[in-house]
Amino acid sequence: MSREAWALVAAPRQVAATVRTARTVADRVTVLAVGPREVADAASAAGPDRVLWAETADGRPAEALTVPVADAVAAAAPDLLLAAGDPAARALLGAAAARRGAALVSGMLALRADGDALSIDRTALDGEVVATVTVAGPVAVLVDGDDEPADAATPAPVEPLTGQVAPADLVLTATRAAEGGSGLYDAARVVSIGRGVKAKDDLALVEQLTAALDAELACSMPVADDLGWVPKDRYVGRSGQKIAPRLYLALGIAGMPQHMEGIRDAKVVAAVNTDPDAPVFRAADYGIVGDLYEVVPALVAALGS
Amino acid sequence: MRTVVVYTWARDPGAATVRGDGSVEWRNQKLVAGEDDHAAVAVARQVAEADGGDLVGVTVGGGDASWALARGVPAAVQVADAAVVGDGTDQARTAAVLAAAVRAQGADVVVIGDAEEHAGVPAALAGHLGAPVLLGVSAATVSGGRVQVTRTVDGTEQTLEVAAPVVLAVAAAGPEEKAPGMKELLAARKRPVTSVPLADLDVPTTADVVATGTRLPDAGDARIFTGDPADTAAALVAALRAEGVL
Repeated sequence: MSREAWALVAAPRQVAATVRTARTVADRVTVLAVGPREVADAASAAGPDRVLWAETADGRPAEALTVPVADAVAAAAPDLLLAAGDPAARALLGAAAARRGAALVSGMLALRADGDALSIDRTALDGEVVATVTVAGPVAVLVDGDDEPADAATPAPVEPLTGQVAPADLVLTATRAAEGGSGLYDAARVVSIGRGVKAKDDLALVEQLTAALDAELACSMPVADDLGWVPKDRYVGRSGQKIAPRLYLALGIAGMPQHMEGIRDAKVVAAVNTDPDAPVFRAADYGIVGDLYEVVPALVAALGS
Repeated sequence: MRTVVVYTWARDPGAATVRGDGSVEWRNQKLVAGEDDHAAVAVARQVAEADGGDLVGVTVGGGDASWALARGVPAAVQVADAAVVGDGTDQARTAAVLAAAVRAQGADVVVIGDAEEHAGVPAALAGHLGAPVLLGVSAATVSGGRVQVTRTVDGTEQTLEVAAPVVLAVAAAGPEEKAPGMKELLAARKRPVTSVPLADLDVPTTADVVATGTRLPDAGDARIFTGDPADTAAALVAALRAEGVL
């Protein structure tokens, strides 16, 4: 069967991964981009068949346009709807799924065509298992993807979304840098410590590495919360900071799901841990099985050479 | 304004055991309060107190309706059928049931936990209600008949102003700091819980989602270095240089 997919995006991040996922099962891919021009441009560069653009204005966030977006989706009646997990894209997807009468599945890892149906692998139970479900009708998926660069693709034409595009009475009245984070959020490199660090005085050793890497210091929750060795605004995880550095280097961190959720968008994850079975190695790109008290000075030396 | 807080609408992940072959055994199907539900109740109370309007809890399935009553919500409505949301995988279905229950209350502000495992439910709930939604909310209040909302997105704290009706999905900043004591639990027993049969609600159907199995995640494709610290450190630094992240 010929299958049509619509990807709903509200930020340049993860557009490429979302379009690539849609292409694995759909013959025709439309991106509905909501937001400033840069969102439409990123969508076009990802190489879908076409881009529909709903511009936001007057300080309105993308969430102000969920209803007109849902109307456009319902009129086109695509078989598959996709969005990344950022709050605005999720808002668009939920509204569209409800109007389309589609099922909605989150944490999507992979899609396969299964005859007329779609087979979906999704992460479940905090990442402990991959669950597979099959849906025979229209379905909306939240993509659990990385922020990948677009393939070299022919840019798609951008058309304005036509029809009734009346925004909801919803405005952004103020923004400010969130408390805490202390530069952590924008850092390109982050060195993060867990319970594998045995004493507060040992932070001096770690600081040599952060200096050599020009990195910010972060930690797992117990190091900030129970031990108080690092300010609380520097702990990374579900209830703490969520960051997207180019390099995240985890020292003596076991890698529980609550922690790993905070670095889902990191580009490269490296880990040092004495336990070869530590969960952190399953999510890492690189690992050293070893004692951080030996490995950290060796890393400082290797970086200096 | 009427504020409705939705709670206890998903299974307890703690009741699941993952076996070595990747299959999952559920000890029970009971719906329990999610880890964001306590924050949703706190925000709903903020909104109701600022506005002076009433506050009602809505819960589905056979969970403990008194959970929110012990946390200061004066009354609750429970959609009684235990299997009401199935296994919860089809989040549009869960949202449709919640929306039908919320609609019957005539809510102006709907507050729900923004649960990671069920990331589509709050937005689909808003979709079914035809209302805008704000996700990842940390606080809210009401002033001049409009709802003021605070949330943090990508390291930026946003303040937004929205007209009711609106759905607010609240992400907890951490575990609940103080669970209710015996006094609150006893008081909760005296507060009213109205049971509503699922059949009395108008719930649209969605495509069937059929679970076909679970497996363990693939072993990571990490490059692991072992051995002499100097060698492993040099190998990691070389790999990170090749990745272009240093």
